[in-house]
This record gives sequence, structure tokens and C-alpha cells, in this order.
Amino acid sequence: MDAQLKRGVLDVCVLAAIKNEDSYGYKIIKDLSPIVELSESTLYTILKRLETAGMLVVRSTEFEGRLRKYYHITPRGMQRILDFKNEWKEIMDIYSFIGKED
Amino acid sequence: MTKQEFLTELRRNLNGLPQEEIEDRMNFYEEMINDRMDEGKTEEQAVADIGTTDEAVRTIASQTKMSTLVKEKMRTRRSLTGWELLLIVLAFPMWFPLLMVALSIAFTIYMMTWVLVIATYSAEAGLLAGIGGGLVVFICSLMEGTPDLLVGGGALICIGGACLVALLCVLATKVTLKLNKNIFLGIKSKIIKGRN
Repeated sequence: MDAQLKRGVLDVCVLAAIKNEDSYGYKIIKDLSPIVELSESTLYTILKRLETAGMLVVRSTEFEGRLRKYYHITPRGMQRILDFKNEWKEIMDIYSFIGKED
Repeated sequence: MTKQEFLTELRRNLNGLPQEEIEDRMNFYEEMINDRMDEGKTEEQAVADIGTTDEAVRTIASQTKMSTLVKEKMRTRRSLTGWELLLIVLAFPMWFPLLMVALSIAFTIYMMTWVLVIATYSAEAGLLAGIGGGLVVFICSLMEGTPDLLVGGGALICIGGACLVALLCVLATKVTLKLNKNIFLGIKSKIIKGRN
């Protein structure tokens, strides 16, 4: 897959993983593992990028005597998912058009 | 490898990054290892799951812009004192030629990676010229009623050669681009590791 496209898709995957409830690093990797293999270093970069873009906020919560970071989606993050879905509709239209040409 | 060993090695390998980023990344990896252990994995397994610190450095290198890394390196340099500045100015005739030599060597080595590409494209250009010239001469001789079969055959050979060399051009470009990407990644990894 094209690197630029993959980056955009992975961002939305991570947002989708925290859409319904706040989640933490390892859980995000586990939840996404059936559809995409994410390494720790890759996830870190994605989370930082989304945080900088204001699409998620981080809060540290104590868990069994240690700190664990939970990621919470913001309205802007929600909007990104919606935008992605709309973009995808356009791509699917193009895809079916290409299919017709065969 | 224990968690502590992994984290110590990681810290050493991220030396070229800003301090707060090192801390942040370390916390992130530590949480990842802890979460795996909570799930029932042994410390050994949990650390193995994360991969090697070298892999981590390579991933970070591929995801960080060179300009960001260099800027960060410049920023963390302490500023120079007056005496040091004076020494640098006075020693200009000494270090400037050396710097130029170093740059020339680096540039030459870099250009050498492109030699294969230049060679194949030159061969392709030669063959294309051969096709063009050969065909013109052959068609002229045809019109004069005495077809020059030797030149016509030569043009045909050139066409065959050009097809073959075109493939080599593509291959050489691909290999060289990949090589360059790896060299670039290697340089970035070195900066992240911060050992000069």
C-alpha cells in the first residue's frame, strides 16, 4: 500500500479503536491486531501525531500501582472518522467505475 | 532480556533524541511490557514481543524527518564562548579546506551509488541513437533501390538491445533508490543513537 495512504488509514484505525471507550496502548494494539499489525514504535508515532492534531487527549490514570496512559477521542477526532468515511465513499464510487471498464 | 535491561539499552540507543522524548518513549515501552506481563506473559516473553531496540530505532528513523533530527541536534548544542568563537575564526584557513575535502568525498561516494543508473541510461541513449540513425540510413538506401541490409540488421539488433537495456535501467534505478533510502535511514538511525 502507498505509504501516505497507509499512514492516513492507520490514523483512522487508531481513532476507531478509541471511539467507543477510552483505551490504552496495549489494548489498542490488541484490538487492531485482527486487521492490522502495529508495532509499538509505530503506534507511539501515530498517537503523538493525533494528539498534536487535537484529535485525542491523553490522561494518566493509576492502575495497579503504576501509571497507565488512556487515550480519549475529541470531537475533532470523531470528525476525522466521519470525513474518512465520506472520502471512502468517493473512492468506492471510483472503484466501481474502474470495475465497470473491464 | 529483562525489562530493565531492555529499557537501559533503549535509553542508550535513543541518546540523540530530546530528553523529554526519550522519557516519554521509555514510559510508553515500559507500560507496554507491564501490560503484557499483567496478561500472564513472563517478563522474557513480554520484552521479546516488543522486538529489539534496533528495530525500534529503525522505525523511529523512518518516521522522523531528517530536518527535525538535525534541528534538534543543533538546538541542544551549547552556545560557544567568545574564545572558542575567536579560535574558530582564526583557524578558518585550516578547517575550511578540510571541510571542503570531506564534503567532496561524501559527494563522490554519494554519486558512486548512481553510477550504475548513469551507465545503463547512457547505454540506452546510445542504442536509441543507433536505432534512429540506422533506420534513417536503411530507409534512404531502400528508396535508392539498394537496401543496405547490414545497417538494417544493425538497427534491428539495436532495437532488441534497447528493450533489454530499458529493463536494466528500471532495475538499476530501483536498486539505487532502495540503496539510497537505506543509507538515509542508516544516517538517521545514527543521529537518533547519538553516538558520534
